[in-house]
Formats: sequence, structure tokens, C-alpha cells
Amino acid sequence: MKTRADLSINFCGIKFENPFCLSSSPVSNHAEMCARAFDAGWGGIVYKTLGLEKSFRVVMPSPRLSVLNYMDKRFVGLQNAEQITDRPIKDNIRDIAWLKKNYPNKVLISSIMGYTDEDWIELAKMSEDAGADMLELNFSCPQMAHPSAGHRTGQDFHAVATFTEVVKKATKLPVMAKMTPNITDMLPVALAAKDGGADAISAINTIKAITDIDINSFTPLPNIHGHSSATGFSGPSVKPVALRFVSDLYNSKPLQLPISGVGGIETWIDALQFLLLGATNLQVTTGILRYGYRIVEDMIEGLSDYMIERNIKSLDEIIGKAAQKLTDPSNFETRYQVVSVIDEEKCIGCGQCFISCHDGANQAIKFDPAKRKATVDEERCVGCLLCKHVCPVWDCVSYKEVDTQLVKHAAIF
Amino acid sequence: MKKPVDPVKIGQFESMRQPLDLQAAIKESNRCLLCFDAPCSTGCPAGTDPAKFIRQIKFYNYKGAARTIRNNNILGSVCAHICPVEKLCEKQCSVKALEDPINIGGLQRFASEYGKTFALEPLEKSKKNQGKIAIIGGGPAGMSCASALAKLDYEIVIFEKEEHAGGVPKWNIPEFRLPGEALAYDVKNLLDQGVEIRHKSAVESKDAITNLLKDGYDAVFISSGLSVPFKLGLLDGFTNAVDYIAFLRKVKFDRGSINLNGKNVAIIGGGSVAIDSALSANAAGASKVYLISLEHLDELPADQEEINLARLMNIIFKAGSQITGVNAHEKIISGLTGIETDWIEPGKFIPQNARQISGTEFKINVDLVVQAIGTKPGNEVLNFSKALKTKGKGIVEVDDNFDTGIPGVFAGGDVVNGGATVVQAVGEGKKAAQSIDNFIKNRRNSL
Ligand SMILES: Cc1cc2nc3c(=O)[nH]c(=O)nc-3n(C[C@H](O)[C@H](O)[C@H](O)COP(=O)(O)OP(=O)(O)OC[C@H]3O[C@@H](n4cnc5c(N)ncnc54)[C@H](O)[C@@H]3O)c2cc1C
Ligand SMILES: Cc1cc2nc3c(=O)[nH]c(=O)nc-3n(C[C@H](O)[C@H](O)[C@H](O)COP(=O)(O)O)c2cc1C
Repeated sequence: MKTRADLSINFCGIKFENPFCLSSSPVSNHAEMCARAFDAGWGGIVYKTLGLEKSFRVVMPSPRLSVLNYMDKRFVGLQNAEQITDRPIKDNIRDIAWLKKNYPNKVLISSIMGYTDEDWIELAKMSEDAGADMLELNFSCPQMAHPSAGHRTGQDFHAVATFTEVVKKATKLPVMAKMTPNITDMLPVALAAKDGGADAISAINTIKAITDIDINSFTPLPNIHGHSSATGFSGPSVKPVALRFVSDLYNSKPLQLPISGVGGIETWIDALQFLLLGATNLQVTTGILRYGYRIVEDMIEGLSDYMIERNIKSLDEIIGKAAQKLTDPSNFETRYQVVSVIDEEKCIGCGQCFISCHDGANQAIKFDPAKRKATVDEERCVGCLLCKHVCPVWDCVSYKEVDTQLVKHAAIF
Repeated sequence: MKKPVDPVKIGQFESMRQPLDLQAAIKESNRCLLCFDAPCSTGCPAGTDPAKFIRQIKFYNYKGAARTIRNNNILGSVCAHICPVEKLCEKQCSVKALEDPINIGGLQRFASEYGKTFALEPLEKSKKNQGKIAIIGGGPAGMSCASALAKLDYEIVIFEKEEHAGGVPKWNIPEFRLPGEALAYDVKNLLDQGVEIRHKSAVESKDAITNLLKDGYDAVFISSGLSVPFKLGLLDGFTNAVDYIAFLRKVKFDRGSINLNGKNVAIIGGGSVAIDSALSANAAGASKVYLISLEHLDELPADQEEINLARLMNIIFKAGSQITGVNAHEKIISGLTGIETDWIEPGKFIPQNARQISGTEFKINVDLVVQAIGTKPGNEVLNFSKALKTKGKGIVEVDDNFDTGIPGVFAGGDVVNGGATVVQAVGEGKKAAQSIDNFIKNRRNSL
């Protein structure tokens, strides 16, 4: 009996044994690290963004990281102040060549960032000569010390189109443009990349954010010798934003380019959700920073079991399947109304649903102090499900449809 | 976090531990630190690799977790219920430096249950093209060796004395600690591998091993465990003085034939098996259950958890005491006399080192005496081959590779270690399988 499903994908004409790739960051900093990632099972790698030191010498700030903690849960998001690679270009090019020679069946994508047309061309050609399978254009690092690079380029449709075109002309490799989420609407930028000849779009890079502030020194973190900045935020907390952008790209009629999804992926379920919203390829950084390359084992095994259980022969069968269900809120069927149902057996009597509903919803939960049980007043319940989401017993609260004729919400106010 | 055991269940002979549900499993696995060198995994004699299956649960890869457990430990679901985790994996857990260790046993029960419920694919069948191996005894050690060899495509025949495989976990470990379905699932997994189990096929004839090797078996693994219980001379010949092996089996499979309602039972011994016997007697309706042991309370070889449970169930401990006489009519004991004891030399827990304390004599009325003072290998083992070396109570001597020194003859489990745990027997069976494979490959290469 088969225990491993076929997880291979075709992305821009390149075969990946599985969709799981390292995204460009310290996790793909040099050859020895990348080799270990390949050995752990990753299908591809987007190498740490290359730049030319003769044009701009990168010096990393220190300390570089800060995290978002939520109560006892640590590291629900990560803020970094890191720029593109600070290694010499010749070392990185040698590493890429070595990796392609030793891992010919794995995919190596070279991420590049230029400051002028000439830089972009030079980096593209060097990458191609070293054997890279594909290029990713970094239009999205939010904390480059250079005045006209990174996400500043990525917010400028014209620059994106031009640089993409320059690179496309210089190489035969497929080219993917990496988007910044620090923009209201990603589509115009993605379409500009398409105009420039891009073969794919990757999204998202990090979100400019401030995770923490030292309340004694009045300094946001990371405290870089007395200063800080709103810099790149990543990890589980950004997944909702990344999913939104991926689905925007996928659902765009004019775009129609393959998508590499990035942002908060740690488990096979995260991965599957990106696929369902339209990503073909997937990239990970923060999950690896937190847990190491080994997390790919569970992504592969978990996704594979999911496919076998549902008789899914190829990932192509499911890519974008959930994106179709997204619609404009104006189209929602409001004749469909629900009310919460509390399972009395499972209710442990903590009253959290009562508090939340009382102060944050429609006062529809009744609490019996003698029995220490919560019940739903269906007359008042507006079916928001706040109670379900605060309940400490995960499967205690469910909901049921009600006859809309009987819904009296309007009358309550 | 551990939920307390449910004493009511013991009385009903139902699993005394509630399984972790999905929510509890997710929470528990998220307390795990996913250590770099994972001491829990190093601490498992069978190589079950808890660090991996906990990580798999944490990352929602539940089936993967079930696969890891089953593939690494063919008695994975049995161990999930009865492994002395406090002494092994959980003892090593890094979280202990901060808070309670991870409930590894609970997570293992969750994952193996998940594999069963959601139809984990069967293990692959052996191609049976690498050679033929005879295994004597289908307990944990034999099952584990068979499974490991089947993975290497050997043809396996297990000769089992009883009408069912499983050894001690099948016949003797009480149902409230080990639900029958757990072992049934593990045996099914083994059968999926194409292993043949010949029931009611005791190997006991003279030179049995020599003959098996002549009959076309390339190697033999002895895993016949410990089948002969020790008994006290003082209790010899009385009809209501039984051994724990027979007692536990009767309580498990023929409860109707023993009526303990309102009766007093004395258990002699202070190990885990004595506690099992005491709890079983209690569950079977006994009004008073005494546990008489030379060891004092803090010296009992039983686990603290078991001792706590026994106290919860009102077992009366006569720890640090000894039986001195029997009151009997015809061949039926009606009472025991005893005395409290101390050690002549501290820390040496053997009967010869016990000193009676005068003035502490006691007398108890009993209707049944259960002796739980150990077991030894069956006498037939001595007959297996003239060349087989044994020591002490008759345990088989082997080297570090579980090799008996007779070419092609290996041994492991209780028959070798003198009585340990299921997980130890599984580990030894696996290691012996590796040695058997090496032996056969070397022999083939030298031909
Ligand atoms: C009451 C009790 C409770 C225990 N509780 C625990 C516990 O909670 N946790 C734990 O880890 N361990 C426990 N143990 C120990 C554990 O059961 C043993 O260490 C383990 O079963 C040893 O496995 P084995 O395969 O070596 O031997 P066994 O389990 O004894 O299996 C030997 C097998 O060989 C068969 N056999 C014997 N002679 C022959 C022959 N001549 N021919 C053919 N077949 C033969 C037997 O029928 C049996 O099936 C307990 C033991 C007892 C007695
Ligand atoms: C420390 C750090 C350094 C990064 N460096 C780069 C980079 O050099 N080039 C790039 O395109 N993205 C870079 N990124 C962004 C990641 O590739 C990725 O787009 C982002 O972190 C979101 O994915 P994640 O949530 O899986 O981390 C970096 C991210 C981090 C955390």
C-alpha cells in the first residue's frame, strides 16, 4: 500500500519534488546550510538575497530581532532588521554553483537585488552562470539602508516593470517577482511585474511593524544602540495577511501567473491553506528559525497522508480550490442566520462565554450560577460565535441555522 | 499534565486511564521543547523515538506519529498503556527543569489510538526471501524480533505454547491497566507483516534447537520468558496458596470461577506484580487485601504511582515484615502469622539479610494467599541444546549481541534479562534481529 503521495509540482516549467522551499533569509545563507536543508527533504531553496558589495556594502544592525509574545505563547511573530546578504558575491556564487553540482535534482532559486539596471543584469547573469534554476527579484525588503532599494522599489510600479524587463532580457531563466505587503493593493505591482515579463509572483515579504517597546528606556525593540525602526514582521501572525494577498493574486483575471506563497507557514495545514488559496509553490523562513529544517518532514508526511486519504493524485487538483469561495461581502447570503448551541455535557461552567457575550456581543448567554452552566438565549443570539471562540473546551459550542423569519435582531435595537 | 486514574474503572476491570483527547494532545505536545538531543528518545530501550512522535503530534501529523510508534515498536500500543515512563522517557524529559514532564505515555496512547481509528496503512508484508527464522515464544521479545526480521524480508515462524500470542501482557497484566484491544492491535500489525504464529506449539523436546536448525531454519531466537513462579516452602501443599501468574490469569480470563466477595487475601511480595495482584483481588471483591513484603514502604520495588494507587484502593501494607507460620485445617489456610523485620546490613534487600523484631508478631485471617515473589525460565529451556549456557535461576547467557554462542542461536527478553519490562524485551528483540541478520549475511558471504 502506498504511504507517500506524489507531492511534486511544476512551477514555471521546473519540476519540484515537493512544493516546500526555504525562503530567502538566514536559513539559506550559505552552501553548508542549504545542503542540510536539502538533506532534510526541502524541495527547493530561494538563496539569501544577493547584492553587489561594490554598489552597496551591507552592514547588519545588531541586535537584529525582536518577537511578539502573547501571554505564555512566545514567538507568535518575529520582527527582523536584517538586510540582504552581507557575504561577498563571489562566495555566494561559488556556493550556488557547488549546490547545483551536488544537488542536481533539487531546485535552487537565486534571489537578487540590484540598485541600477547594470547591477540587476550582472547579478542575473552570474546566477545563471552558476547554475541557478530560477531567479527571484527582491522588490520587497522593508529595511534596506540603501535609499532606493527593497520595498521602496516594490511600491513603485514603474521601477518594478523596468527592472523585471531588464532581467528578463539578460537571462533565459524563469523570473519571479517578490512582493511587499506594505501596500494597500498588491495587484498593480504584480501586474507591473507581469508587464516586465515576470513568470511568477511570490508573496509576501515581511510587514513593517513594531513588536515591542521597552517601557523603562522608552525604546522600541530591537534596541539598536538607542534607536529602532518599524521593520519586517513575519511568522504565524502574518499568515492571515499573506493568505489574503495570495488569494488576491490568484483571483485576479488579468494576472494569471503562478504564485509562490510565503508568510507564516509551519505545518502541513498552513501549507495546504496556501495551496487552496492558489499558491503552487511554498516558502518558509520563520518556522525554520524557530524549529529547524526538520519541520519539513511533518509537512511532507502530513500533506501526503491528507492526499492519500482523499484520493488526491496531484496537488494540481486542489490548488485554488478555496479561492473560488471568496466573494465580496456585498454578496453574502444574509437570509442564512445561525445561533450558537452549547453542549451542556461539555460545558465546564467557567462563564467565559457569558462575559464575552455580555460585554462584547448581544447579551445572549445566560449563566446559571447554581448549576454553573451556560445556555444560549436564541431570541437574542446573533450568531456571531464569539462564545465558541472563547470557550476553553474546543468542541463544546457549535451552531445551527435558524429560520430567518423568526430572527428579531432588528427589533432588539 | 496527567489526569488522575479512575479507581472506579479498576473495579470494573476497564482501562483506568482516560485517553488524551485531541485538545489535550495538542496542548500537551505544545509543552514539548523539541529538544536537540531529545533525552526522552535516548531513554527508550526499544527506540520508540518519543521525541519524533511528539513533534509529529505538535505539527498535526497525527498519522505520522502513529506510524513512528508502530514502526519503531511493534508493541507500541501495549507500551502506551503499561510502560514505566516515569523511570524511562519521562524521567529524562528536559521540561522537568521547569515544570511537570511531558505526559509521553498519554501522547503515545493518543497517537496509537489515532492510527487505529483512522486506518493507518498496514505494515508491508515480508518478501520471505532472505532466510527462515524460528522464534520460540510469542511474547514481546519474540514479536519484536519477528517484526524487525520481517522488515528485512525473512520468513518467520513463531512457536507459541499458548493459543494466543502476547506473553505476559496477554495473560497476566490486568485489564484495567492494559485493555485487550491494545495487544490485539499490535498482534494484528505483526500478522500484517506475514509472520506465521503457530499456536499451541510448545517447544520442549530434547535438542529442540539443534533439530530446528537441521529442519531448515537458518537461525533460532529464544524468547520463552519466565514461566515458572517461585513459591515459599512454608506454603507448599495448601490448596488456597497460589502463585501470582496463575492468579492474575484467572482473574483476567476466568473471574467467574473465583469468588472473593467478603474474603481476605494476602499477597506476598512488594513489586509491581504484587501490586497488580493486590489491585486485582480488590477489584474482584475481596474485603481485605494485605500486601506483605520484606521491603519497607520506601524500599518497595513497585513504582510510586502503583503504590499510591494501592493505597487509594485501601490495600493494607504490611511492609517490612515476614510470614512465619500458617494456621490451616486440612489443606486449607485460614490464617497467617508474621513478624516485622529489619535489615541486618542496610540496603541489602534479600531474605537472608532480614532480622526479625521481637514483640512485633502479628496474625491475620486469610482465605487466599497469593505469592508474588518472582519467576524463572521453564525447565525445558535447559533441554533446548546441550551447548546452551544458563546461569542463576536458569536464565540464558548471551553476549552483547544476544548471541548464545551456539552458531545461529540467539536469545532475548525476560529469559535473558531475568525479568524486566515489555519495552526492554522489545529493544532486545530488535537488537537480536540485527544480530541474526548480520549472522546470516556473514555466513552467506563466506560461502
Ligand atoms: C504481572 C506482571 C505485570 C507486569 N507489568 C508490566 C508493566 O506494567 N510494564 C512493563 O513494561 N512490563 C511489565 N511486566 C513485565 C513484562 O510483562 C515482561 O518483561 C515481558 O512480557 C517480557 O517479554 P518476553 O517476551 O521476554 O516474555 P513473555 O512475555 O513471558 O513471553 C514469553 C512467551 O513465550 C511462550 N513460551 C514460553 N515457553 C515456551 C515454550 N517452551 N515453547 C513455546 N512458547 C513458549 C509464552 O507462552 C509466552 O507467550 C509485567 C510482568 C508481570 C508478570
Ligand atoms: C531574518 C530574516 C531575513 C530575511 N531576509 C530576506 C532576504 O534577504 N530576502 C528576502 O527576499 N526576504 C527576506 N526575508 C523575508 C522572508 O523570506 C519571508 O518572505 C518572510 O519572512 C515571511 O515568511 P515567514 O513567515 O515564513 O518567515 C527575511 C526574513 C527574516 C525573518
